[in-house]
Amino acid sequence: MTAALEGFLQALTAGLLIGAVYGLMCVGLGLIFGVMRVINFAQGDFMMLGMYSAFYFFTALGVQATFGNAIGPFVAILLAGPVLAVFGYAVHLALISRVSGTRTTSLEGEGHYAQLILTLGIALILQNGGLIVFGSVLASIRTPLSSSAWELGPLFHDVSVFVNKARGIDAVVSLVTMILLTLLITRSRLGKSLRAAADNPTAATYMGIDVDRAHRVAFALGTGITAIAGGLLATNYPFHPFVGVEYVIVMYAGVVLGGMGSIIGAFWGGMTIGLVQQMSTLVLPTQLQNAAIFAVFLLIIFFRPQGFFGRMVERT
Amino acid sequence: MLQIEGLTAGYSAIPVLNGVSIKVEQGQFVAIVGPNGAGKTTLFKTISGIVRPSAGTITFEGTDLLSIHPARRPHLGIAHVPEGRQVFPSLTVMENLEMGAMTEAGHRDWKRNIERIFEWLPVLAERRDQFAGTLSGGQQQMLAVGRGLASSPKLLMLDEPSMGLAPTVADFIFERLIEIRRQSKLTILLVEQRVAEALESADHGYVLEAGRVALEGNNETLRADDRVRKAYLGM
Repeated sequence: MTAALEGFLQALTAGLLIGAVYGLMCVGLGLIFGVMRVINFAQGDFMMLGMYSAFYFFTALGVQATFGNAIGPFVAILLAGPVLAVFGYAVHLALISRVSGTRTTSLEGEGHYAQLILTLGIALILQNGGLIVFGSVLASIRTPLSSSAWELGPLFHDVSVFVNKARGIDAVVSLVTMILLTLLITRSRLGKSLRAAADNPTAATYMGIDVDRAHRVAFALGTGITAIAGGLLATNYPFHPFVGVEYVIVMYAGVVLGGMGSIIGAFWGGMTIGLVQQMSTLVLPTQLQNAAIFAVFLLIIFFRPQGFFGRMVERT
Repeated sequence: MLQIEGLTAGYSAIPVLNGVSIKVEQGQFVAIVGPNGAGKTTLFKTISGIVRPSAGTITFEGTDLLSIHPARRPHLGIAHVPEGRQVFPSLTVMENLEMGAMTEAGHRDWKRNIERIFEWLPVLAERRDQFAGTLSGGQQQMLAVGRGLASSPKLLMLDEPSMGLAPTVADFIFERLIEIRRQSKLTILLVEQRVAEALESADHGYVLEAGRVALEGNNETLRADDRVRKAYLGM
């Protein structure tokens, strides 16, 4: 009985910790989709680049030597965010803007067909380019933190919960990033103009908002956010140039669960997936984790097709 | 202030506007009336840069408007209150007004503007924290007007502010517009299907039919014109 309870609490904790990072990962994609309505298949590969950036900042560029093994990984991860944001900005400027935004409002399907092909193409180039540049050997940002834990408890009846130190800090960094982003989106002039551009691009233009520029900012922010989430995952999970494929499907599931277009919803969608994934290990073999995610996904979508925070009403 | 010459514009290859010339002087209230599909909304969209003309010129205070990026045009002092209101539904009333103030002048004059807007349209002050998507049609129209005013415009363009509203609500909005104009001395360009009301309050009017200016003149000439009386005023 005690053992079962301990197992349950342990899985719950693990789910919440990984869910916080999945949440942030989904928010990056949700921001891009919410503001631009662009389906970005390359988001997983942007995350892969975020992982490698954090990795190289940590190992080759002296962050480990300067900040040590405890703070170092997180400094490297937070540096990877802006680097990938600049990368996202450039990708939008050079490529995405050609098939999205004000240029395509008069096209059939608003350019969605071209967007699908373009982002899939970018994904393939990044994956195979990554293979050439980074090689196929698994990398990771593992430090002693990744293999030590804090013990919470004993809570009662000698039941205690162990929190992996790296994952614990990952979750805290993720939550803080999420709170800062939420403040930016809800309170700042920039954030409000992004929301206005998402609500009604034409009316936003009448307000003097450059919608294409708003999209570029959203794309950069979304890329940077996902890169940070990727770096956080890399403290515990080894990665390779094709790792994006494994995560992009989770990202989309999270964004759809949360409700397409809702940023806070994307976070809770990611959180739900993290919880389901970890809790499912209590009753199912580990290989069936992803099957469990999609069983729950289908159930939720069956009962609530608009997602947690989605709006059923048509936009006016 | 605003001078449009020989404007031809449309979607794909079919022109909706065919050589339209319109002039708005500083401080004037100009109304453009005409039936559905005459090209009134297309004219506004061309001024705002959403539709690109195939011929003609638009000059605003001596600047060639067509050479200016659509998102820069509001910063010159042109506020477009679009057809069907088009408020930002997921933003609050206050945030919608703040979006109006995204222009440089609107940002600078925000304090003074918001005070006057709330005075003219008190319902916006009452509902400031409500999401715009939950407002009634009339309230959304007032918000759209307030949002336009928040940009500190020199020229306020109103596209069918009475559309889809109950006659009493439309009357109220018209009454508010006349009051706002009386106090602010704003230059107004109005597109309207309620021809009688529009011609009554405007200084100058244009009748747009099938993409051409069919008739123009000051409000008395137009209201006395037999064609206008028959076709639009039902007399």
